[in-house]
Amino acid sequence: MVGTGETGDTGDAWEPHLLDEDEFLREVQSFEFWFEAIEGYLGDRPNGYDPDLVEAELDDAERDQLVTILCNYPVGETAALEASSGLVRLAATNPSQIFMATQVADEARHVEVFRRRLEHLGVSDLDTTIASRANPELLEFKRTLLGFVDDGQWDLAVFAQNVLLETMEDTVFRFHQTTADPVTAQILEGVIADERRHLGFGENDLGRRLAGDPQRRAQLTEVRARLDPLVLRCFEATYRDLGLRPDEFPELGRSYLDAVERLGLGG
Amino acid sequence: MADFLSQYSIQRWLEACPQGYLDGTVYGHDPDETEAEEVLTIDSLREASIAVTVQLIAGERCALAASSGLINCAPDDASKMFLATQTLDEARHVEIFTQRLMDLGIKKEDVNSTVADLANPNLVKFAEVLLEKVANKDFVAGVVGQNIVLEGMAFSVFELLQASSAGNPKFAKTLAGTIADERRHVGFGENRIGSLIQEHPEKRPEVEKMQAEMSYYMLATFTDMFSDAGQRMEEAKAIAAQRDENPLDGVSWHGADLMTATPDVMEAVLADTVLGEFKTRLGRIGIEYQSPKVPA
Repeated sequence: MVGTGETGDTGDAWEPHLLDEDEFLREVQSFEFWFEAIEGYLGDRPNGYDPDLVEAELDDAERDQLVTILCNYPVGETAALEASSGLVRLAATNPSQIFMATQVADEARHVEVFRRRLEHLGVSDLDTTIASRANPELLEFKRTLLGFVDDGQWDLAVFAQNVLLETMEDTVFRFHQTTADPVTAQILEGVIADERRHLGFGENDLGRRLAGDPQRRAQLTEVRARLDPLVLRCFEATYRDLGLRPDEFPELGRSYLDAVERLGLGG
Repeated sequence: MADFLSQYSIQRWLEACPQGYLDGTVYGHDPDETEAEEVLTIDSLREASIAVTVQLIAGERCALAASSGLINCAPDDASKMFLATQTLDEARHVEIFTQRLMDLGIKKEDVNSTVADLANPNLVKFAEVLLEKVANKDFVAGVVGQNIVLEGMAFSVFELLQASSAGNPKFAKTLAGTIADERRHVGFGENRIGSLIQEHPEKRPEVEKMQAEMSYYMLATFTDMFSDAGQRMEEAKAIAAQRDENPLDGVSWHGADLMTATPDVMEAVLADTVLGEFKTRLGRIGIEYQSPKVPA
């Protein structure tokens, strides 16, 4: 595949931000754009990491802690996979439908790379292990998110998925990346790059829709306030799994608060 | 089952599709390819190309809605992974055929109204039968409807269109990529659903009824599409005769000579081919093929 731009080239002169709004959205929410983006950081990393990367030596306790942390990731990613696949049918425009389809593939890839990582760490009965170690807070969040999708509530679902969930994952993955073994860190790097695109879509889509619609903004602010405690509990549970004491927790959800502030949902 | 499903991972898909047969393409074709000149300059041929492309978009939109909708009711993670790749395949097909519509002169803001106006009503009903199963989270019926009936139809239609597009390399190349995708989708349907049908034999009557219903609307769509094709086919032949070369010279599809076959013959060959494929593929998964009613 080659980049499209207007003319099918990838020359330095092509600048998507010079396109008009409709054309810009059509460009950045396309299969072509998606592939150009992921090929840059996944092209030589089958299963999310360089095959030549040397595994770190982990003792039993370190391996067990890593397994516990990683068991949460497929749960969040499966929630995102199921939500984004449900959102394909709710998308109001063709480009946003195409974008959501690219997100479906991204989320499925995340589920796949985390499950494979767990297998490589010696976990044999994946489903049972994940079910026994994943935080219940995440499962509660998943139920809430899928409820929005089932009710056909695009705005609420995009907010919960592409802003809340993606910000949570982005924050946790970034933190974990700084302490993780090289293979896990490289897997996380690719996942983070995807999450940034999803977060960008969520903020962009919601930002446009909320502009000039105070009623919708008020509704989302209310939902945000309702979900805040759950989001914070999710953060706390994950940080505990990462082995941190409460006084060591990074500033909880700074990027999450920044994102809701940018959307004018600070309440 | 685990070994078979491992062939449908995201990683395999990345290597086979975007990093494989789509490598170097733009909207599914080579970057320097354009539509055949006569398709752009002769109104009747352009209108016919628009009408055909609209049916492709309508079919692919249905496939996108179905494959994404089936993810949530898939019984295992491996099936979810495969359906995620199929969702993106179908989204790509929607995108490339939508782009073709614009290449044929339809303005971006008129795409949806053009599709709504020109989508064949029988094809719309065909899609509704399938999407009702998906909305009811019926995984077995949904996958049979999507990956055997819809994809089986699309596969043969794309092959016929590709053979007929010998004079339009851009469109032929676009179709080649979609055919490669559809082949994967049909393979998954046969493999995964066979075991599920064995586990749920009570699903057979409902699935067979759906297949008969979808087949009826498919045949009705074919009848509509070929009913006014005679004049256009003659026109294309006349243009080729003026140029003293016909790209369809010597090209055949399932025994039909594409240069001389009448619309009636082509419709019959297409219908027989697709229904024959249904019969074979349904037999492999333990479903008895149901002959559809013949459209009036």
